[in-house]
Amino acid sequence: MTRAMGFHAPVTLDEATALLAADADARCLAGGATLVAMMNAGLVEPSTLVSLRHIDALRGIEPVGDGFRIGAMTTHRETASDARLDGGHAAVREAAAVIANPAVRNMGTMGGSIAFADPAADYPPALVAIEAEIEIAGADGRRRVTAADFFTDWYETALAPGEIVAAIHLPAMPAGARGTYHKLARVAGDFATASVAVVLAMAGDSCCHLRIAIGGCGPTPVRLAEVETRLIGGELDAPAVREAGEMLARAADPVDDARASADYRRLVIPRLLARAIERARAGGAS
Amino acid sequence: MTVTFAVNEVERVIEADPSETLLEVLRERLGLLGAKRGCNQGVSGACTVLIDGRPMRGCLSLAMNCAGRAITTIEGLAQGDTLAPIQQALVETGAVQCGFCIPGVALTAHALLATNPDPSMDDVREGLAGNLCRCSGYVKLIDAVRRAATARGQR
Repeated sequence: MTRAMGFHAPVTLDEATALLAADADARCLAGGATLVAMMNAGLVEPSTLVSLRHIDALRGIEPVGDGFRIGAMTTHRETASDARLDGGHAAVREAAAVIANPAVRNMGTMGGSIAFADPAADYPPALVAIEAEIEIAGADGRRRVTAADFFTDWYETALAPGEIVAAIHLPAMPAGARGTYHKLARVAGDFATASVAVVLAMAGDSCCHLRIAIGGCGPTPVRLAEVETRLIGGELDAPAVREAGEMLARAADPVDDARASADYRRLVIPRLLARAIERARAGGAS
Repeated sequence: MTVTFAVNEVERVIEADPSETLLEVLRERLGLLGAKRGCNQGVSGACTVLIDGRPMRGCLSLAMNCAGRAITTIEGLAQGDTLAPIQQALVETGAVQCGFCIPGVALTAHALLATNPDPSMDDVREGLAGNLCRCSGYVKLIDAVRRAATARGQR
């Protein structure tokens, strides 16, 4: 059993980043859903834990212009139940709603989840499709990176040692946009075998905005501007969507693992995309 | 290090190591053996307790991080000798097989009924999705939650 040495519960972000900067083996503790599981498994042994629980600046979902700032400590339950996240932003709400199970959604946070950056997790494709920006805090100040640049490799992010996720910024969505998140999992509560996040807007019968990101099929979410460009201006008819799905499947770099083979994942990507687009056009998951 | 939180409405001052989980403290320091250690990874649901009224994993909660919170375990669910409606319904339905999952199921269902007094079958299935029963007695567990909802409605 891992035994950590120190425990701090600062009330300001500056205190937290100073504590993390002072000790390379310190780890910040958000909801515990990932870090404590890894500690229990003996995979990490932090020298010091810096709890983020009492830092008010990391909490809550606030409208900013026509977008939102989601504090890193916002739980999946809070995100999943926030009706203001509609339209294009619904992709993030729908992703939050299918993470693990209710008890884990009561604990786990958006900042903690994306900092761990499991490629089969639900937020990465949703945040890439919505073109979110990640606000990063460190002892030297704040910076922002796009979600696409934040997820860099298997369980790797743009966070430098000592930096933490402070917030996730969802930009304004085009008028009439609808976002959705469609996940294929072997059993309820599992990580995604493969998933698709879509944000689209139609002008009459013609698609005027489209963002697609595939999850669980490689180290980072798969997004191809070329696919979106081909579909924008068209009617999103079945053959065009099928072709787009096949392009994404070819671009993906899935692996064989306990959930599915790489071939199976490539097979389902076009089908998941077709369903996600159909669902977005019908107004979302629920 | 010491931390103070309430367990079943009694304030407790706990001396614990920073990496000690709430589950370990409940079982090993407080002798409350209702919450079970299943997977220790947050999947099985056997360690589920209520923290500030919401079901959470005892194994993924560090005791030091529970300062000021209100913990409810299965030992605190009944009012004196009167079982909570979900406990009574579990008994009446015959839903308890080996019993290992039951504390987590009862607490999760209790919290579900507090926010959704008349859950549909799908609501119950979704609500209990994080509580595994290795006896696979799910049909009667779901029946019990529906029975408890009816009993609550009639009170």
